[in-house]
Amino acid sequence: MTDRSVAAYRKAPASALSKAGAFGLRILRSDYFILYLSLLYAICAYPFVPQLFTLEVAGNIVSEMMPLLIVAIGQTFVLVVAGIDLSVTAIIGLAAVVGASVMTQTGGYVSGPLATPAALIAMILVGVAVGLANGAASSRLRVPSFLVTLATRMFFAGAAVWYTTFHTTSSSIADLPAAFIALADGYIFSFSVSGQLIGLPIEVAIAAVVVVAAHLTLNHSSLGRAITAVGANPRTAMVSGIRVEHTITLAFVISGLCAAIAAMLYSSRMETGSPITGENILLDVIGAVVIGGTSLFGGKGKIIWTVFGVFFLVLLDMTLKLIGASLFVIYIIKGSVILVAAAIDTLRNRIFAER
Amino acid sequence: MTVNRRQFTLGTLLAIAASGGLTTAVRAQGDKTIAVLFDGLYSEFWVAGMKIIKDDLTKRGFEIFEAISDQNDSKQFEQVKAAIARKVDGIIIVQTDSNAVIPAIRAANAANIPMVHFNRPPAKSDAFSVAIQADNEKIAYDAVKYACEVAKKSGQKHAAAILIGDLGDPNAIQRRDGFEAAVKEFPDAVEVVARIPTEWNADTAFAGLTNALQANPDISFLFTSSDFMIPQIQQALESADKWAKIGEDNHVIFAGFDGFPSAYQLMKDGYMDADGVQNLFLETKLAIQAILDLQAGKKVDELLIDPGFVITQDNMAEKQEEMWGYTLWKEKNQA
Repeated sequence: MTDRSVAAYRKAPASALSKAGAFGLRILRSDYFILYLSLLYAICAYPFVPQLFTLEVAGNIVSEMMPLLIVAIGQTFVLVVAGIDLSVTAIIGLAAVVGASVMTQTGGYVSGPLATPAALIAMILVGVAVGLANGAASSRLRVPSFLVTLATRMFFAGAAVWYTTFHTTSSSIADLPAAFIALADGYIFSFSVSGQLIGLPIEVAIAAVVVVAAHLTLNHSSLGRAITAVGANPRTAMVSGIRVEHTITLAFVISGLCAAIAAMLYSSRMETGSPITGENILLDVIGAVVIGGTSLFGGKGKIIWTVFGVFFLVLLDMTLKLIGASLFVIYIIKGSVILVAAAIDTLRNRIFAER
Repeated sequence: MTVNRRQFTLGTLLAIAASGGLTTAVRAQGDKTIAVLFDGLYSEFWVAGMKIIKDDLTKRGFEIFEAISDQNDSKQFEQVKAAIARKVDGIIIVQTDSNAVIPAIRAANAANIPMVHFNRPPAKSDAFSVAIQADNEKIAYDAVKYACEVAKKSGQKHAAAILIGDLGDPNAIQRRDGFEAAVKEFPDAVEVVARIPTEWNADTAFAGLTNALQANPDISFLFTSSDFMIPQIQQALESADKWAKIGEDNHVIFAGFDGFPSAYQLMKDGYMDADGVQNLFLETKLAIQAILDLQAGKKVDELLIDPGFVITQDNMAEKQEEMWGYTLWKEKNQA
C-alpha cells in the first residue's frame, strides 16, 4: 500500500465519523433534544406497552400534561431568575378550596351564572397574592427563595386545610357548577370518529394560551430579557439598569398565577376543591423543568424545553402505570431519570463550554 | 474529569436503554386482570388488606394491576384511566377523598368496568359503584360498651378520652358516634374529658394524648379510633405512668378498633380490654365477589356491610381465629 492510499484509507472513515459526530452534535445542541429522547423512549417502550400508541392513551397523556405543564411553566420563570418556588403545591391547594367555596352549589358565596367567573377570579387572586408575598420576601428581604417558599408552603398548606373546615364537614368542597367542570371535560370544538370524540379540549386550549404567552414573555419581551439577565448575574443586571427586585417579584407572581390556573384544571377534573390537591407534584414540577434543560442556577431556560420536559416525564409515568409498576418503582425510576437528566445537562454544558 | 462526545453519546444511549429495560423488569400482563388501586399502605390494616386481596385474586387466576396513589386523588384518577386503557376486568379501589373519586367512577362506568370501593365508600352521586364498609358505628359501640361495663364494675367514675380520626373520613365519624352512643349509656361510670383529633396522623395523636394526659391526669379510660396509633398511645401512657395491666391500680381501661396484630398482643398481655375488629377476610371476599357478580351482570347492592365483631378479654379464646391481626401475629410468632 502506498503512502497516498494509506492516507485515503485513514481519511475516509474519519470523514464519515466527523459527519456522524456533527449530526450528533446538532441533535445535542437542538432545542428538541428532549423531544427526540422522548420519541426514542416511546419506541423502546412500545413492544412492552403496545397501548402507548392508541388514541385513548395519547389523550390521557395530553390530559395529564396540561395542569403539570402550567405549573412547570411558572416554575421555569422562577428557576431562570435563579430562584425556586416550593410553595406551588400549597398555592394549588389553597386556590382550589377558595375557588370551590365561592362556587359550590351547596352554600357557596356566589350562586347562579356568576359563580364560576367569581371563583376563577378568586383563584387567580390567591395565586397572585401568594406569589407577591413570595417575591417580596425573597427580593426585598433578601431571604433565600427556597427558605421563603418552604415557609409559605407550610403556612398556606395549613391555611388551606383550616379554610376547608369552615366550609364543609368533609375533607373537600364538592358540588361544583357544571360550567366549571367543563374546563376539564369540555371541548372548544369536537367531532366523532368511529365513536371516539376528537377535538380541542378546553384544558388544552388554556394550556396553549399559557405556553404561547409564557414563551413570548420569557423569550421575546423586555421582561423576559430582564429575568434572564437577573438570573445570570443580578449585579450586572442592576448595573445595566434592570430593576432586580421588581423582576424577581414578577417571576414569583407569574409562578403563583400559573399555579392558580393549574388549580382550576385539577379541581375541575376532580369535580372537588380539596386542600391536598397537587400536594405531591413538586418533584414532577421541578423534575420536568430540569429535564427540559432549564438551569437550576438561573439565567438559562426556554418554555419549549419545559414543554418537552413535561412530555417526557408524563410519557415515562404513563408507560410505567400501564405496565402496572408500583408507585415506589415509579418514584425510583422517575427520580433516577431526573438525576440522569440533570447529569446529562451538566455534561452537555461542560462539553460545549470546553469547545 | 473530561468527557468526550463519544462517551457522552454512549452514556445517553445507555440511559435510554436502561429505562427501557426497567419497563421490562416491572412488566405484568395477563388475560383477566383486576386493578387494585390503594391510596397508600399506611398501616398494617392496609398492607394486610392489599395482601389478602392479591392472594385471593391470584388463587382465582387473575392478573393484578396494582397501583398506589400516595393520597393523591388526581394521580389515582390517572391510574384509573391507565387501568381502563389496559382494559382491566374490574377495579378495587381505596380512595382518599370520597368526593374526588366520583369522576373515576364515571370513567369506569363509561368503560363498562365494575368498580368496588374497599372499606371506604364514595360520596353520593349519579355514578354507580359498590362499596364494602365495616359497620363502624356498631362495632365501636360494642367495643366501648364492653369497656364501659368494665368501668361500671370498678365502682368508680372514670375520666375518658377518645382519639378521633380524620373527620373527612366517614369511618372516623361513625366510630366517634359509636363511642359517644355507648358512653352516653353509662353517665355514672364514664365522663368524657378529652376528644382528641388525630387526622389519622400518629404524631398528632401522640401530641394530643400527651397534652390531654397533662391537662387531665385522672384519665383512666381510653378509646382509639384505630389500632395503628397503639405505639404512640403506649408511649404517652408510659410517660404518664399509666401503662399498666388489667387489675393493677393505674390501669387505663383501653379499647381499640381495627383488629391489628399489636392489638391482639396487648389483649394477650392484658393491657387492652376490648378491640373492635373489622373482618378483613369477609371484606375481601365481598369485594371480589361483587366484582365477579357485576361482571356476570348480576345486581349488587351499592353498600355491602361487614358486621365485624368485638374481641374482649372474655371471648378472646373463642373469637381470635376470626381476627386478621391474630392470623398475622400467629404467622410472625411461628416464624
